[in-house]
Amino acid sequence: CVAQYRLHGYTPSDDDLANILVGVDTRDTVSEVIGTPTTSGVARSDAYYYVSKNVRSYGMREPEIVDRQIVAIRFDDAGVVSNVERYTLQDGKVVPLSRRVTGNNANDVPFLTQLFGNVGGLDLSQAFDG
Amino acid sequence: CSDFSARPFANNNSFAEGGQSGEPLENFTAEEIYARGEYELADNDADQAAVYFGEIERLYPYSEWAKRALIMQAFAYHQDQDYENSRAAAQRYIDFYPADEDAAYAQYLLALSYYDQIDDVGRDQGLTFQALQALRTVIERYPDSEYAESSILQFDLAFDHLAGKEMEVGRYYLKRQHYAAAINRFRVVVADFQTTTHTAEALHRLVESYLSLGLTDEAQTAGAILGYNYQGSEWYAETYELLTNAGLKPEAKGDSWLAKIYRQMIKGQWL
Amino acid sequence: TPTVAVAQSFAFNSVEIDGNQRIEDATILSYMGIARGQTVSAAEVNAGFRRLEDSGLFESVDVQPRGNTLVINVVEYPTVNRISFEGNRRLDDDAISEIIESQERRVLNPSQVERDAARIAEAYSQQGRLAARVQPRIIRRSDNRIDLVYEVFEGDVSEIERISFVGNQAYSDRRLRGVLETKQAGLLRRLIRRDTYIEDRIAFDRQVLSDFYAARGYVDFRVLSVTPELTRERNGVFLNFNLEEGQQFHVGNVTVSSELANVDPDLFAEALRIETGDVYSPTLVENSIARLERLTVQQQLQFVRIEPRITRNDRDLTLDVEFVLSRGPRVFVERIDIEGNTTTLDRVIRREFTVVEGDPFNPREVRQAAERIRALGFFSEADVDAREGSSPDQVIVDVDVTEQPTGSISFGANYSTSDGVGLVGSFSERNFLGRGQSLRVSLGNSSNTSTAGIQFVEPAFLGRDLAFGLNLSYSNNTADYAEYSSNIGIFEPSLTFPVSENGRLQVRLKAEYGEMYDVDDEASVIIQNEADEDALEAGGAGYTYSYDTRTTGLNPNAGVFLSFGQDFMAGNDVQYVETNIRAQAQAFVLNEEVELRATFEASNLTFSQGSSRAFQRYYLGSRYMRGFEGGGIGPRDASEDAALGGNNFAVARFEAEFPIGLPEEYGVSGGVFYDIGSLWGLDKTYNADVRYEDFSLRQVAGVSIFWDTPIGPLRFNWSEPIERRAQDKPRTFEFTISAEF
Repeated sequence: CVAQYRLHGYTPSDDDLANILVGVDTRDTVSEVIGTPTTSGVARSDAYYYVSKNVRSYGMREPEIVDRQIVAIRFDDAGVVSNVERYTLQDGKVVPLSRRVTGNNANDVPFLTQLFGNVGGLDLSQAFDG
Repeated sequence: CSDFSARPFANNNSFAEGGQSGEPLENFTAEEIYARGEYELADNDADQAAVYFGEIERLYPYSEWAKRALIMQAFAYHQDQDYENSRAAAQRYIDFYPADEDAAYAQYLLALSYYDQIDDVGRDQGLTFQALQALRTVIERYPDSEYAESSILQFDLAFDHLAGKEMEVGRYYLKRQHYAAAINRFRVVVADFQTTTHTAEALHRLVESYLSLGLTDEAQTAGAILGYNYQGSEWYAETYELLTNAGLKPEAKGDSWLAKIYRQMIKGQWL
Repeated sequence: TPTVAVAQSFAFNSVEIDGNQRIEDATILSYMGIARGQTVSAAEVNAGFRRLEDSGLFESVDVQPRGNTLVINVVEYPTVNRISFEGNRRLDDDAISEIIESQERRVLNPSQVERDAARIAEAYSQQGRLAARVQPRIIRRSDNRIDLVYEVFEGDVSEIERISFVGNQAYSDRRLRGVLETKQAGLLRRLIRRDTYIEDRIAFDRQVLSDFYAARGYVDFRVLSVTPELTRERNGVFLNFNLEEGQQFHVGNVTVSSELANVDPDLFAEALRIETGDVYSPTLVENSIARLERLTVQQQLQFVRIEPRITRNDRDLTLDVEFVLSRGPRVFVERIDIEGNTTTLDRVIRREFTVVEGDPFNPREVRQAAERIRALGFFSEADVDAREGSSPDQVIVDVDVTEQPTGSISFGANYSTSDGVGLVGSFSERNFLGRGQSLRVSLGNSSNTSTAGIQFVEPAFLGRDLAFGLNLSYSNNTADYAEYSSNIGIFEPSLTFPVSENGRLQVRLKAEYGEMYDVDDEASVIIQNEADEDALEAGGAGYTYSYDTRTTGLNPNAGVFLSFGQDFMAGNDVQYVETNIRAQAQAFVLNEEVELRATFEASNLTFSQGSSRAFQRYYLGSRYMRGFEGGGIGPRDASEDAALGGNNFAVARFEAEFPIGLPEEYGVSGGVFYDIGSLWGLDKTYNADVRYEDFSLRQVAGVSIFWDTPIGPLRFNWSEPIERRAQDKPRTFEFTISAEF
C-alpha cells in the first residue's frame, strides 16, 4: 500500500522572504515580490497570510495533513509591513465543527420528482442478458 | 389586477369542450373566450386557460381584451409552472404596453418565473442571478407599484440564497480541512452579504477556521465582531465556548492594530 | 418619410395620433417621450420620431407639426396570425418551429422572416440535403393580420458513394476508412444516418486522420486536399483524400535539463518511460510530462513548468526529446464556480477537483478534473475553463454542465438459453438524488428462476476516495438441468480504495444463505444427500486486489488487468475459503487492425469443515468456456447422467478479432478463439458412480462473428471440441450479447 502525497497552497521560501523589509515594504510591493496571499485577516487590509500544506492519503484512512506552513505578514496603520511571523502545523488547534446550518428558504424539490425526475430512455442492455 | 370575478360560464356545452372538438373559437366574442379562460383558471386548469387567453390575442389582437388576455396568459402559464411561456407572455406585454399600469405586474411575473425555480442551495445558482436582476428592474422601474415592496422582500430572499451557496462551498472546504479556502468563502459572505441571515454563521465559521490554523488573534477579532453584532445568537454562544476552551476571550487582543479594528467595529460602521 | 424642416421650438397642447390599431396612443406617446404642453425643440421631436421607427412595431412613421398640434400617423406591421410549413418531410413542424424566430401573435418582421428561411435551409444542409430551398409566403387576413407559410423543397440526400485515398503507403484504404467517421453508402442505408455529406464532418475527419498518423510517428503528415465530386444526379458524392504521409520517426535520445537550482534532473530522468527507439507520438511525450509533473508534486516543488524541446535529425529519422524544467508563473486558483447543475449537488462535482481554491493553478490538473467530471456520466456537456480573476495572477475556474437523464426504468422480457423466458423489472439511477450514488433495484422472474436484488454504491464514502458498495440479492431457482430447487441469498457490503497508482483494494463482508429442496427422486444420490443437510448459513470476510492499466497505462494499444480475491467463510458446521483469480491482457497488433485478447480465470472452493453443495459449485457456462452446454463438463453422476458441478475450475481463453473484408459500416468483424480448461473436484461422493471428478483438460476451438448493432454488440460462436470426455455435452452454436470487459 503506497501513500499518495498532495501539495496545497503556497508559502514563499526563506530567500524570497529575505527581501521583504519590515518598515519599508507595503502591501503592493509584498504581493509583487512573493505573490498574492492565499488569504487575509477578517478586515481585508490588515494582514497577508500565505498558507501551504502537504496532505498524505493512505488507503482507507482520512487524508491527513502532515505539514502546514503559514507565513503571516502584518501591516501597521500606514500600510507598511510591521512584522513577519511563521506558524506551523503544531500551532493549529483541533476544533469541533458545529453541525448547525442556517436554513435556506428555497422550496426544496419534492422527493419523488428528484427520484423520477431524471429518468431517461429505456435501458435495453440487461433485458437481453443472455 | 384582474377584477373579473370568475363567472361560471353559461352552460353551453357545445362550447364546453372548448374549441378543439366543439365549435371553432372564431365565432365567439373575445369577452366569451376571456370568461371561458377565467372559468378554466378558477377550475385550476391553468394550461387550458392559457390556451384560451392566447386565442383571444390571436383572434382579436386590437381589442381591450387582447391586452387583458396577454397578462392573464402570463399569469396562467405561471400558475401552471410553465415558466418559459410565462416569461415570453410577460415580456410581450412589457414590449407592447410599457406605459400600462399592468406592466409592473408583467415585470413582476417575469421576475417570479426565475425566482420560483430557485431550488435548494446545493444546486444550480444561475437562476438566482437572473431572478435578482429581474427583481431589481421591478424595484427601479416601478418603485411605487404594489409589487415593489414584495419584490424587495424577494430580492433579499434571493440574495440570502446566494449567500447560502457561498456558505455551502465554505463548509465543504472547512470539512475537508482546507481552512484557507474556507476562510476566503466565509469572508465573502461577511463582506458582500452583510444583510443576509448567514453573516452570523460566517463569522462563527471564521472563528473555527482561524483557530484550526492557529491564528488566534484573527479568531478573537471575528469572535468579537460576532459578539458585538449578534450577541443573542446561538452562533455567538458556540463561538464563546470555542474561544474560552482555547483559553481565549472573545474580544480584540494583541497589539494596537487589532484593538483599532475592534473600535471601528464598535463605532457602528458595521450595519 | 419627411423630416421636420423648420428648426425652432414648439409647444404642442394637443397631439393627434392616427393609423394605430393595436398599439395604444399611450404607448406611442411614451416612445415619442413628449408630454402635452411641454416646449420641445425640433431635435427632440426628431429623436422621438427615430425612437418610434426603431421600435420595430411600425411599417412606416410620419411626424408633422401643424400649428400647436403634433400629428403622428403610423402604419403598423401586421401581426402574424398563423405560421405553417409545407413540403417538409424530413424535418417535422415542431423541429422547424424551434429554429425560426418569428412567432404567432407577434408583429411581422420581414428581415426576420428572411433569416428564418435561410436558417431552415441551413438545417436541411446539415442533414445532408444540399439541394433544399425554402420560400416564405404571406397571406393577408382581416384587420391587418397575416398568415406566414414557409414552402420547403427538400431535394434528396446526397450520400457518400466511395471514399478513396491517394498517397497512403503505410496504412490501407480500409484501415483509414475505419478511422474516418463518414462511412461509404452501403446496404443498410436507412439504418445508418452517418453517411450524409456534411462539411464540418469532413473537417473533423481531417483532424482524425492527422491525429491517427501523428500518434504513429508520422510527424510530417498532411492532408493536402479533400476533393468531393458530386455524382451526376446530385445524390452521391465521391470523396477523395489526398494525403502526404512523410516518414515515420522514432524517438532519438531523451534528456532532462533543469534551470531550477534545487531540482536534480537525473531523478526526473529515471521517472521517464520513453526510450530511444520507441515510435514517436505526441501522447508518449504528453504522458511523460504528466509523469514528471506528478513527480514535482511528490518532491513538493511549486510552479515548475515542464517543456519538451524536440530536435529533428532527418538523416536517421529520429527526434531527440529534451524535457526542460523551468520556473513557471505564480498563478493561483481564486475560485471554482459551478453552474448548470440542476439535479447534481455542487459537492459531487467539486470533489472531482484535486486542486483547491487558493492552490497554485496547474492547467493539467484542471483538465484532468474536467475528464473526471465527464467520466461521471451525469452530464451531456461539461466544459471547464479558466478566466482571469480579481487580479492578473489569480484565475477563476468556471464549470458549466448540462445535465442528462441518468436514471432508467426497464421492463422487459429476456430470454436466456439456461433460464427460459423471463420478465425483468428494474429501477436504476446512476446519480441517485443528485448525490453521485448509484442504486439499482431489480425484480425478475421467469419460468424457473425468480430474483430480487439491490445494488448500491457511494463512491465518496465519508467524503474520501473510498467507495462503499452494498449487494443484497435473493434468487429462487428451479432450473431444469440441476434436478432440485434452491433459495439463495447473498448479503455483501464492501469498501474499495486506491492502494497505488493503478491498484485498488476491496475489502468486504459476506453472508450467504443456501437451501436445496424438492429434489426429484431419480436425481443423483449426492444431490439427495446434500439436500437432506440443513440449509447453509455462512458468514465471513474477503478481499480483492485489482491492478488495471488498460486506461491509465502509457501504451494506448495494450493493457493488463489482474485481480486476486478470497472469501473466508464459516457457518453451521461448515468452513470454506473461495479464491478467484483473473488475469487478462489485450493488445492491438498488425497496424492495430487485429485485436488479441488472452484471459485466464480460475476459482477454487476449499472446505476445511463440511462439504460443498450443488448451488455453491461451479458449472462453467459459456461465459467462462465456449463449446459446451451449461453443466456440460465436469464431475457427473454416471447413473443419472446429472451434472454435479466442481469445486475448482481453471480456464484459459485466447481470441483474436479482425475485419473480414466487409465494408466497415456493417460493423461486422470475425474472430477465432481457442479455449482450454477444466472443471473438477468434489468433496463427498456418497459412493455414487461419479465420472470426471479429477482434473482433465477440455479443449475447444471455433470461429465467431461479431456484429455491432444499435441495440448492442451481438456475438455468434461456432465451436468444435478438440479434446472432450465421452459424457460431456458439447454445443456447437450459441448466440450472446458479448459484454465488453
